[in-house]
Amino acid sequence: MATVIDTARTRAKGVVRHKTRRALLFWCFLAPSLLIFLLYRIIPVVWNLVLSFQYWSPLKAAEPAGFDHYEDLLYDEVFWQALWNTLIVIASAPLGIAVALGLALLVNADIRGRDVYRTIIFLSYPLMTVAVAIIWRWMFDERVGLINYTARLLDLVDKPIPFLNSFTWALPSVIVANTWQILGFYMIILLTGLQNIPHELHEAAAIDGAGAVHRFRRITLPLLRPSLFLAFVIGMLNSITSFDLVYVMTGGGPGRATEILVTYIYKLGFVQTKFDDAAAVTVVFFALLLATTWAANRLAGGNVGAAETE
Amino acid sequence: MNRYPRWPIHFALLLAGFVMLVPFYWVLKTSVSGENIYAYPPSILPARANLFYYVDVWYAIPFARYFLNSVAVSAIAVAGNVVFNAMAGYALSHGFRGKNVVLVLFLSCMMVPFQATIIPAYLITGKLGLLDSWLGLALPQCSTIICIFVFKASFDAVPRSLIDAARIDGLSEWRIIWHIMMPLSKAAIATNVILAFIWSWNNFLWPLIMTRSADMQTLPLGLARFLSYQEDTTGALYAFCVMVLAPGLLLFLLAQKEFIRGLTSGATKG
Amino acid sequence: MKRRSLVKAALAGASTLAAPAYLRAQSTRKLSILTWNIADQQELFKTEFADFKAANPGVEIEWLDKKGPDLPAFYQTQIVAGTPPDIVDLQGAIWVDYAAKGGLVDLTPYLQKEPDVAKRFNADYLNGWVYQGKTYLLPFYVAKTLLYYNKTMFKEAGLAGPPQSFGELLGFAEKMAKAEKTGFLTLNFDWLYWPLFKMNGVELLSPDGKKAAFNTPPAIDALAQLAKATASGGINKISWTGRWVEPNGAFASGTVGMLHAHSASYFFVKGQGPWINDQTLGAAQVPGFWSTPTNHGFAISKGSKNPDLAWSFIKYMTSDKCASAFFKTRSVLTANTVADTEGLATLEKTEPLAASVLRTQTEHTDKLTGNWPLPYDAELKDAFWPEIQNAALGRKDAKTALSDAERVVNRLLARKA
Repeated sequence: MATVIDTARTRAKGVVRHKTRRALLFWCFLAPSLLIFLLYRIIPVVWNLVLSFQYWSPLKAAEPAGFDHYEDLLYDEVFWQALWNTLIVIASAPLGIAVALGLALLVNADIRGRDVYRTIIFLSYPLMTVAVAIIWRWMFDERVGLINYTARLLDLVDKPIPFLNSFTWALPSVIVANTWQILGFYMIILLTGLQNIPHELHEAAAIDGAGAVHRFRRITLPLLRPSLFLAFVIGMLNSITSFDLVYVMTGGGPGRATEILVTYIYKLGFVQTKFDDAAAVTVVFFALLLATTWAANRLAGGNVGAAETE
Repeated sequence: MNRYPRWPIHFALLLAGFVMLVPFYWVLKTSVSGENIYAYPPSILPARANLFYYVDVWYAIPFARYFLNSVAVSAIAVAGNVVFNAMAGYALSHGFRGKNVVLVLFLSCMMVPFQATIIPAYLITGKLGLLDSWLGLALPQCSTIICIFVFKASFDAVPRSLIDAARIDGLSEWRIIWHIMMPLSKAAIATNVILAFIWSWNNFLWPLIMTRSADMQTLPLGLARFLSYQEDTTGALYAFCVMVLAPGLLLFLLAQKEFIRGLTSGATKG
Repeated sequence: MKRRSLVKAALAGASTLAAPAYLRAQSTRKLSILTWNIADQQELFKTEFADFKAANPGVEIEWLDKKGPDLPAFYQTQIVAGTPPDIVDLQGAIWVDYAAKGGLVDLTPYLQKEPDVAKRFNADYLNGWVYQGKTYLLPFYVAKTLLYYNKTMFKEAGLAGPPQSFGELLGFAEKMAKAEKTGFLTLNFDWLYWPLFKMNGVELLSPDGKKAAFNTPPAIDALAQLAKATASGGINKISWTGRWVEPNGAFASGTVGMLHAHSASYFFVKGQGPWINDQTLGAAQVPGFWSTPTNHGFAISKGSKNPDLAWSFIKYMTSDKCASAFFKTRSVLTANTVADTEGLATLEKTEPLAASVLRTQTEHTDKLTGNWPLPYDAELKDAFWPEIQNAALGRKDAKTALSDAERVVNRLLARKA
């Protein structure tokens, strides 16, 4: 009797030791990535946080500022406009993802020439943003741009639409250009996710008489959840990564119509040399994104939307 | 068995392809003709097509040296990404104490705009003594959170039974990653390679801030030469952009076959 | 000339005598120079740097060049890291911000010790680099606004020559506008559009710089007229939203009657517009002869470890010899009067059209506007410009736009007081 309990106990201890050893190993696996993020993301965020409570410029020593910068933000019309524009950019992400999902499914289908289609759709992503910005600027031009020219040829409008000169059309135009560029990125993430779905599941369901739409809703979509969550996060982060496009295409104008938080941060820091104000905006922006991701994670079912495959 | 009409798919894809191609065609067209894109009416075909701008790009800047720098930096970044991200993705596809903290941490690390990190990143790189070096250029990009999650999703899809069997067989975790997980995650590897390459290849702001010596400049920095006001012809600019685009495109073409599904043998999945 | 070479020889002789002892004390002295978007001058600078090094043995020169929008980001990171380039080439009004924060070396003592240096330059241009009585930069090259006009479009519309008043300018623009053609375009960065207001008697700030002074009936009237002309197509909307490629590209395509831009536009436009020659392009002053300069100057960073050496370097780079060479290769005005007069004389014979453009840069330098030596110039622009856009693009009427702008600007000035 005693020996059975003893062996069970020692085995249990062994399992526990094994488990902790494995956990330690996992931490070691995480270490290189964690180190890089620590150096290049976490420490800079802390630097910004500290800076947002100080008065500082590259040539003067720091003085405490309390909540002054945050107070300034409350009364800063530009900040609120940039915040609003950023929210619009974030809200437009699902549209792009939906289109990309459709394209990914099409491109993944068993048809001839899908390699060619795939490449064409992806082409826009590796193209340098400067080229994208200048070309789309031209395409949206009121007088000589391609879009207005085509619209006039096809008699769709009688007056040219001032896309980038209009306070209402500027931001949507930038979003269109941005979506054009990022479609390839979405597609690649979704394609990778589609690869994780075993072919056999679809075959089995088809044998059982399930139609394509049914299969999509019951098999594809749930198993695609981690990729969709990722795509949404990417879409949200687009409001950060589209800095180059917005800056080169409109510079935030006309007025503040296309000013987003990240262009405002850059302007405050590097054009107006107000790094402390830029730091405050960074902190607010960071909090905003964190909140949105947390909400999205909750909606996606927690655990970063990981699908259970058991 | 799955008989569905192909032509609507082709139609939809052709439409999508057209929309994606039109701006790109204009970039290509201007790079061979150098015409003013603000000319009216817009011309569909290039007038006086020539490859002069491409030659111009090659000779106007130390293209070979810049190319080498970009290749070195991207190679380091891609290698780092594949190795570190696979390790991290594997760890995250298991449960362990503090895993959720790490997940949240990783996600929040993404929420930092690069523009706000320039100065501290520069100071840190300086302290590490990596300014003006390939490693210094590549290090911030040697691991990216999106790609970690790509690996994680791929590893999550591998049946537990397989891993348990491997453990019983006495394989160490390290070997499990490389001998079991990775061969089953070709698409994830391909994605990592493509994305890590594009991000490091096209990166402009970080090399701009970080490099001082002329022979450490990467390719996108050469762009400045074409935006100087005396030579600001979009012809040269676009020729340059097309040349910068080429390697990323080539890589994608090579990695294409990894996205073709259905080649998994029965014993490994399901 | 002879005295100069004698002095130079003496200096060279003296330095060679001093060199061995100096060299024993310190292996090399390094000068780093950061320029603003003139990477194409590689050949010229290589020879000039070599000459300087020959005259100052043991000196190494590191040359960095960054494009305009990138330079401030680079420069400020270097300042924070404690390794700012010794010499920096700055454009527009950004220098005031750095000077006010103590980032630039005050050049006044150097100039007082060597009065010959200041005499080289056009006094008005040199004065543009003074803040609170101290000079912080030496002029490198200048570019101020002028009116380019498309002679072909003028002929077609039956117009004899460039407009002589604000009213005529708008009237001409109206006449030339039809279908895809517009009559007038202006650049808008660095306050380049300001002469349009100045010619109507509008001031931006009060003389003491503490209050906004632009909310006046003449300003409202001018802005309203600009808005009206924009709405009708006389003024191309790109004036209010474009930066560099779009406005210049539009003019170069031959569909715009007049372009209000600085001399730097000439070369870009010529490159993009094969129709341009002295029969088809005219260069004139705007009505009232006001112009906004956006000049380049050399400054010395406070963190420089060799300020005296840096001084001799910028003295050398702006000397008659170097300035003349620069004029020849870049066809740009240098503010060095000897170089400019010689250069223009030669240019008249080789490229009369370019010469006519550059000649406008030497005229009426007493009527420079659009430059306010304020450290918060960027913030001021950011506060004022969006309201001008609002009015010009028809979102607000001129009266509301200017009062809103006045409110924001006054609030900004009050905070800075």
